[in-house]
Amino acid sequence: MTAEVTAGLSKRFGKFLVPLVGVVALLGLDLLLDRVVPDSSLRQLLAMTACNVLVAVSLNVINGMAGQFSIGHAGFVGIGAYTSAIVASHLHGALGGEVSLVKSFVVVPLALVASATFAGLFGFLVGLPSLRLKGDYLAIVTLGFAEIFRLVISSAQIGTGETAGAAWRAVRGLGSLLHAVSVSLSSLGGQMGYSGPASDGVPLYAGPFWVFGVTALLCVAAWRLKFSGWGRALRALREDEIAAAAVGVDPTRYKVTSFVLAAVGAGVAGGLLGIMRDGAPSVQPDNFNFQASFDAVTMVILGGSGSVTGAMLGGAFVTLSIKAIEWVQSSPLLEGLRSEGFDLNALRMIVYAAILIALMILRPEGLLGERELRWGSKEQPG
Amino acid sequence: MSLQLQHVTKDFGGLRAVSDVTFEVPERSIFGLIGPNGAGKTTVFNLITGVYEPNAGTIRLGDVDLGRLRPAHVARAGVARTFQNIRLFGQLTVLENLLVACELQKRSHLLGALLRLPVHYADERSMTKRALELLDVFGLTHMAHTPSTSLPYGHQRRLEIARAMMIAPKVLLLDEPAAGMNSLEAAGLSDQIRWLRDTFRVTVLLVEHNMQVVMDVCEEIHVLDHGETIAQGSPDEVRDNAIVVAAYLGEEDVNSVPSSMLQPLPSIRGGQLR
Repeated sequence: MTAEVTAGLSKRFGKFLVPLVGVVALLGLDLLLDRVVPDSSLRQLLAMTACNVLVAVSLNVINGMAGQFSIGHAGFVGIGAYTSAIVASHLHGALGGEVSLVKSFVVVPLALVASATFAGLFGFLVGLPSLRLKGDYLAIVTLGFAEIFRLVISSAQIGTGETAGAAWRAVRGLGSLLHAVSVSLSSLGGQMGYSGPASDGVPLYAGPFWVFGVTALLCVAAWRLKFSGWGRALRALREDEIAAAAVGVDPTRYKVTSFVLAAVGAGVAGGLLGIMRDGAPSVQPDNFNFQASFDAVTMVILGGSGSVTGAMLGGAFVTLSIKAIEWVQSSPLLEGLRSEGFDLNALRMIVYAAILIALMILRPEGLLGERELRWGSKEQPG
Repeated sequence: MSLQLQHVTKDFGGLRAVSDVTFEVPERSIFGLIGPNGAGKTTVFNLITGVYEPNAGTIRLGDVDLGRLRPAHVARAGVARTFQNIRLFGQLTVLENLLVACELQKRSHLLGALLRLPVHYADERSMTKRALELLDVFGLTHMAHTPSTSLPYGHQRRLEIARAMMIAPKVLLLDEPAAGMNSLEAAGLSDQIRWLRDTFRVTVLLVEHNMQVVMDVCEEIHVLDHGETIAQGSPDEVRDNAIVVAAYLGEEDVNSVPSSMLQPLPSIRGGQLR
């Protein structure tokens, strides 16, 4: 009898149980992580890993699932980071200027929604023209877009915006719009990075609750995307675009939507990076250079294009290996070598290139290929 | 609902591939489109399915103007097709090949799938049920979970037709279904096409080189040469049409394939030609 009641209860509430336990666990983590992991640089590494997992999982939607090739993902991450830093800084002032977990429930959702919206909007603008064309146009356009984004932000120093704006103000209408744009761009700190409207640092609202919670949530979303009719249609498109169109799957619509979803994911990842606790209190344009985009591609290829869990593994591996190399480099053992100009960080690129080449020869489909790590076999592909 | 082409013209640069072609495919008929190589048959196919846009003229299915629609929307309007060189989603299983063709009928969309709403599961269930029924009709049930690329040729062709039927089309376009078939298989094809029309109540537009099949199965035939209409009528009328025979001369005999072509090829054994 009791067993029956329990079974009935667990059936009814079972699907709420996992999220509920997750939320409670994350709240606990948020409050206790400082004590469990006293080293703030280690906490930063953990949060950074989660963000990069999200970067890899979102890039996997377009590069892996949809079979397109984007090499400008860092641009969308950067848009997300700047947007959330700006939104959080301004809300911070309005809310009285004290970071707390309770306030983060207002600030973080708003900041992340703004990041996602802005990144998604740019994803649409970049994706629509380039995905209608075939071949490698997307790679070129995304690469160009990310570099333009970075260079515009970093070259708009305080002051240059004023003078350039003044020149434009002479022209009416469009001129005053350009003036406003250039002035607001120059308020982003240029090469020095953005650290709030008063340059007193971006308020770091996103604690472990948000960083790990949002990452987990979006990984689940990516998984569900893959194992749905949408994911099936994307695989079909990758196999044969003409045949897919002949049964009503519109290639442009599916590809552009996937690209926008990937940009939204990257925007959220950037949004978290911009305001994560234990992170840097400023957003630097050079964190979103071509190197960062290429790291994202490496994560996806290492883990296995098309695999959600593979992208997660790849994201974690690349982040941790970057840190491991930095750690090795800062050890006293190498102190002498470094003073003679030996740079391990440059070696990292050689190591990655070697790993990638070896992987392409030995296992071209990546660590997992398109398969997934799974605990049960509840959801089979298709 | 008939498929109508009116004064359809298509130019590629200076070349007029299709010139002022007009014909109507009556509902639930089996209609043949023939002509020598380069006559513009495939171009007409591509115009109907939205791969190309006509320079002039209209293509209508009932009240719907297909002329300006892209391929995916032509499919949504109810036009399904097969391809001369079979195009399947190779890495997808047989069942998945059919499920992809259901995307356009789904009630749930991206959000439903992401939130795993009840409508998502309902869609998956009803689509899988329909797909399995169709696989049963086409005798492919035992292969439902095989990747389609590992199917034998004949099964692949059947799967491609099953996939086309999955979108519940009003018109089915068959592009050279007898390609790669031997004469025995080709003879069986006529019955299969009639069976398709009667079972699924579709209109069939057939492009085919194999004259035996065309003469056997088609109720009406439209003949193109150099992009222009040269004849239309029943198989008997077309067969006896002097212009059609002239257009085909040197390429194929309209009445029958020359007996010399039916001889088996000389066998080559052990690397020696004898």
